[in-house]
Amino acid sequence: MLAIFGASGDLTRRKLFPALYALAYRRLLPERFSVVGVARSEQTTAQFRAAMKQAVKDFGHDPFRQDVWDSLAKSLRYIATEFDSDAGEDSVAQLLDECDKDNGTEGNRVYYLAVPPQAFETVVEEIGERRERQGWTRVIVEKPFGHDLASANELNALLHRWFDEDEIFRIDHYLGKETVQNMLALRFANGIFEPIWNRQFIDHIQITVAETIGVEGRAGFYEQAGAIRDIFQNHLLQLLALTAMEPPIDFTADSVRNEKVKVLRAMHTPGPKNVVRGQYGRGFVEGVEVPAYREEPGVAADSGTETYVAAKLFVDNWRWADTPFYVRAGKRLARRETTIAIQFQRAPHPPFAEIAGDGLRPNVLLIHVQPDEGVSLAIGAKVPGQGMTIRTVHMDFLYGGAFRTGLPEAYERLILDAMLGDATLFTREDEVEEQWKLVDAIVGPWKRDRPNFPNYEAGSWGPRVADDLLHRDGRSWRRH
Amino acid sequence: MATALTTEVGVVAEIEGKLARLREKESGDGGPVLRTSTMTHLAWAPPAWLPQARATLAGLRDRHPARTILLVPEPRRATAITAKVGLYAIDVEGARDAYAEVIEVGLRGDAVEHPASIVLPLLISDLPVFCRWRGEPEWESPQLHELLSVIDRLVVNSSEWHGLPASYERLADLFERVAVSDIAFSRTVAWRATLAQRWPEIRAIERLAVEGPKADALLLAGWLRSRLRRDVRLSWRRADTVVAVRVDGDTVAPPPGEPESGSDLLSDELDVFGRDLVYEAAVRAVR
Repeated sequence: MLAIFGASGDLTRRKLFPALYALAYRRLLPERFSVVGVARSEQTTAQFRAAMKQAVKDFGHDPFRQDVWDSLAKSLRYIATEFDSDAGEDSVAQLLDECDKDNGTEGNRVYYLAVPPQAFETVVEEIGERRERQGWTRVIVEKPFGHDLASANELNALLHRWFDEDEIFRIDHYLGKETVQNMLALRFANGIFEPIWNRQFIDHIQITVAETIGVEGRAGFYEQAGAIRDIFQNHLLQLLALTAMEPPIDFTADSVRNEKVKVLRAMHTPGPKNVVRGQYGRGFVEGVEVPAYREEPGVAADSGTETYVAAKLFVDNWRWADTPFYVRAGKRLARRETTIAIQFQRAPHPPFAEIAGDGLRPNVLLIHVQPDEGVSLAIGAKVPGQGMTIRTVHMDFLYGGAFRTGLPEAYERLILDAMLGDATLFTREDEVEEQWKLVDAIVGPWKRDRPNFPNYEAGSWGPRVADDLLHRDGRSWRRH
Repeated sequence: MATALTTEVGVVAEIEGKLARLREKESGDGGPVLRTSTMTHLAWAPPAWLPQARATLAGLRDRHPARTILLVPEPRRATAITAKVGLYAIDVEGARDAYAEVIEVGLRGDAVEHPASIVLPLLISDLPVFCRWRGEPEWESPQLHELLSVIDRLVVNSSEWHGLPASYERLADLFERVAVSDIAFSRTVAWRATLAQRWPEIRAIERLAVEGPKADALLLAGWLRSRLRRDVRLSWRRADTVVAVRVDGDTVAPPPGEPESGSDLLSDELDVFGRDLVYEAAVRAVR
């Protein structure tokens, strides 16, 4: 049984139910299965079913089929409750028990906590106190997981009062993306990459998580979080860890997560000179004028919240010593893209006349995480015809078209994994701790100064000072 | 040979999705879709220039696999952005097809002034960006200056301009910002080679007479002045192509061979990456 707490929210509508429908469409849901939506909003099960049906039609990627929907909806229930009311929680527990009996799910439960941070403690306590003794229990926890190391530790302590670590599934939906998983396949299923995946052959790595959207109604959260807590602490550091990790001995959850934690522990805190933050002003995105961050509804007129963060990071281990990882994340940038660019060192001595190589750039292996999942390789090739002119040619392997099945949505994969008890693509307690340690160390000095915001135009690639991070090293951000 | 699939899209943000779907449609056998690119090729083509721009681009695809973005400014229409996408299979003999893409973006009304915000998300990462500007640029316009900030090379054809020779001064102001090529200058290359063969006598030249397009004549004279570092008086008579050149009254034998096509000339420019200092000097020496 899947019990979604916070079921009336946007996440349930946009992601969770379309993902559940996709699983039903592919017949990946168990025969005995039920979903219970729990939220404060008063509505009947029939109303909830109708709303979720519409959500599947609006946001689902698979064709809508009534029979598939019926198979999912038949065991769908909804209950309205105040999370801090014992009586309310008792009635939730009672409904879950009834569903167990009706559907034969034998107390096997996945609790999906899609609730705002302020409701988190109450919901965990209520679930924990009433946890079913029969069957297994798994708790999926949405981000943000705390706002600093201390609060993350508190959340971990709270969860561990009721649940073991192997029952806790901290979600970072980036890990559910096909290309992120394909990164592991690319590295560890191909003999050609791993021998050159190190400081000897790689000049540097750039990781970009760029969004074109603004805060989109999340100003209340974003004002407190900023880019560093919203993206850097979780998605960006996860991508870095997957890029830099050693080969795991197998693909079990702990083996993979052990290697990721080693990377996070090996990262040293960048000094203030190696971190840049920014906030967008007015500008144009895809031809449309957009307001400055400080003009967004719910944002303070003198807000000091960063909407952009870039850093030069190092992983101090045998494989990566002195190899910079330049990372950046931001809102209202020129293009929506998440990419990992592995820039290899230049050929040591190209035996061609200098003029012939004008158009030649270093080899880059570019991993597109979104929106167009795939891999590109930039290689030097001779221009056909007279002479020996060398140019960079991009060969793009566009993953979406390679197999005749659509790429599963991240939530589809993650919900299924949680039901199967596979935590490989979820974040472990120690990973979260290491991520927050790094973030706390970076933001510490920020409290002492007041940045001169805004410092980049919406629709650009971020503040000019971010370019200096690389120019100082004789490098530049990948051009777009 | 190239085959085309085209589809209408209304929102720029949907362009990539449409292209992805076209690629998937083309990949009927389930194999990976391969896209081959050496550059992003922009073309700024007001409606009057659009047929020529399309024809030239069609002749380029096999030689310069690229993502081509045709920007069609229509400032007098109601503000909107429209787009049409196409996928072109480049037949490689005995090999699997590779694909190149064409995106035609209509910039209407105020959208004309901010093309960079549409172009930037569509550039292919890490590859050079060339922009063929059809007609004479509006030198102070925001669209020109925005696009200059995202491109590596501006390719013009000054014989399409009305403000000669004064416009060359405006063009010269851009040389420190972006590498510039001029098709009018490129097509004089055979005549320049012929004139160069008159070395060393030509170093004493005082008068140059050209029967041909005004731009070609001005640039030939500018080239001679800058190379020889002396003044050369130009007399010019209009013709569609350069048909006659005289040096101090002496007729220069026409260079052998046929003139290159528009596609060929542009293709040559797309192989050049650095600044063309000889051209820049010729432009600065135009009177």
